[in-house]
Amino acid sequence: MSFKVADLSSASLLETQLNSSIESISEKQSKDTYREMVALKDIVPAAQNNIDTRFILLDKASMNTSSSQGQNKTCLALVADETAAVHFQLWGEECDAFEPGDIIHLSNGIFSYSRNSLLLRAGKRGKIEKVGEFTMAYVETPNMSEIRWVPDPNSSHKYIQEAVISPHSRIFPPKY
Amino acid sequence: MALKLMQIAPHEAEDPTELSLRQAFELLEPKLRPPFSLTIPKPQEYSLLNKAILYGVLYECHLGKTHIKHLHAIVTDGYGLFVSFLTKVVNELYVKLLEPLKCQLIWVTKELIDVLAVGVDGLLVCLLRQIVGGDFSDGNLWLCFEMVNILLTKWDCLLEVESMILTSGLYTYLRLLADHCRQLSNPKLEALKQLEIDFCIKVLKEQFPLCLKIGRDLVRLLQDLVHLPKFRAIWKDLVLNQGEFKSLGFSGIAQLYITRTPSQYMLLRITPEMEAQLRFLLTHVKLGSHKRHQAWFAKKFLCKPNRETVIVDIVRFICCAHHPPNEIIQSDVIPRWAVIGWLLKSCTKNYVEANAKLALLYDWLFFEERVDNIMNIEPAMLLMVYSIPRYIDITHTLLEFLFLLMDNYDAEHYDILVKGVSSSFSVCVKKGVIRSLDVLTSCDALSPILKERLCRFLLGTKFEISGKLKQARLPGHFERVKNSTCMETPTPSPESMR
Repeated sequence: MSFKVADLSSASLLETQLNSSIESISEKQSKDTYREMVALKDIVPAAQNNIDTRFILLDKASMNTSSSQGQNKTCLALVADETAAVHFQLWGEECDAFEPGDIIHLSNGIFSYSRNSLLLRAGKRGKIEKVGEFTMAYVETPNMSEIRWVPDPNSSHKYIQEAVISPHSRIFPPKY
Repeated sequence: MALKLMQIAPHEAEDPTELSLRQAFELLEPKLRPPFSLTIPKPQEYSLLNKAILYGVLYECHLGKTHIKHLHAIVTDGYGLFVSFLTKVVNELYVKLLEPLKCQLIWVTKELIDVLAVGVDGLLVCLLRQIVGGDFSDGNLWLCFEMVNILLTKWDCLLEVESMILTSGLYTYLRLLADHCRQLSNPKLEALKQLEIDFCIKVLKEQFPLCLKIGRDLVRLLQDLVHLPKFRAIWKDLVLNQGEFKSLGFSGIAQLYITRTPSQYMLLRITPEMEAQLRFLLTHVKLGSHKRHQAWFAKKFLCKPNRETVIVDIVRFICCAHHPPNEIIQSDVIPRWAVIGWLLKSCTKNYVEANAKLALLYDWLFFEERVDNIMNIEPAMLLMVYSIPRYIDITHTLLEFLFLLMDNYDAEHYDILVKGVSSSFSVCVKKGVIRSLDVLTSCDALSPILKERLCRFLLGTKFEISGKLKQARLPGHFERVKNSTCMETPTPSPESMR
């Protein structure tokens, strides 16, 4: 590119050395931003809100409203990263806030069964934020929600993969 | 979270650039109020102070002048750092910036021009790129107005700083005028159009030697405006090489034809966001799983009313300013010709499609192996060939258009055009973009009339391919290199890649 913005990284490096108050801000930030992200192919069902990951939203199903006020509406979505896809459940106002093509950062998310289907979601303790658009490659197979999981014989608290139910999402079949 | 520069939607993460400016501001806020400290800041503090002042200028509109005085007092680097931070704000945040802050941005830009700040030309180019082609919203027309106003009122300063900013402005406004003139009954546009015309004419008349550096795309843009009387007069003088142009060492319009337009001009009509998405598409998205990305791109940039004219600029950008390295060309990433094929199919208006085809084939008309880059003509060649047989209509329309251009684009310079097109075919074969032209000349799906015209053209030109071609046309004499089919991944030689 010919019209380049000057490289600002060296300048910001100096700043962090400069001032202790700035340092504390930066530290806090880096803890928030750089917690270890897990790839979607490595997520395992568990009853814990401990998944930090980044994915791109590929498709949204129509909304499901379970209360008359529409406060508990949910919306199923297909999301994916470079390693795998998974079904994600949007909840409440999240349903309208995100569009296909949005890159989303999930923190403290949970991958668990809800009414017999395996879903990734933020849950009450987790959070999703839009961090970008478009610039993420993805695959649609495997789909982690379309895998049959069984308890690990060696460790009763863990699940391991038993079989692939479907290579692609059966709810969002490959469009193209 | 009170002090925001931008409109942030619910569930949207805070931008890191905004965050870093705000943190600097919050940390140094007491020092930003007069009386200012007389101590000279250490280098580390200097950078932080620049960020804090920038945030203050943008956010505290009412204290803008105070902040700028502060900046003038502390500056030791010709404003280079301040301008680089501001440029980053324009590139990354402009679209979402709150409206009053955009006014501040323009105001502080003018202040920086007055002090001939280091890098202010780059800042202006970034602002020009934020003007969206085919967008007639108030906000976008406001930016058009502010920028042309800056170019006209700060003319002398800008000539002193970096004269290329004037030719960048010329390229931008010639292109915008073409769009603005198509909006017939829009009173909002009249005053703006007049300013845009005045600016373009002023650059062309007063700084013509600079304009020559734009090269052949200047002709392409001017031709779209010859229906305006002032441009028609200039066009006439250019074509006849008379009037003021003759005295300026201009040898005729062919001088423009043979000058390849530098690729930075192609970036001017593509917003940084669009550029980032196109480059991502052409670097990371695999052929076969590209449809969603294409649909997202189209939804965001092409599908709104009047927006599809940007397709012409995108085609020019892909041909001339995005040249992927061999690793990408040989990978399964979606190739440039396929993206251009999709863009051509996305045109709903005939004039957009015609201009997009002209954009694609433009360098063919003037191709000269010594100065031109094969990567500029490669997409059209491959699109013609790879559209056989499934999208034969594309092959037809491109070949037909190529001959139409050769015959009619400039009858006075027919010899240049014939030579250009002939060199293009010849170089594409010589450099291995395609193995041979058999794929066209012996293609059953291609209309006999076009095939005959192509053969006649290729035989009539004196270039080396014609020899091969004579053989190729005789049944049983196909000259095929071992293992070669025209559908192989193209592998232009490395020296042709740059």
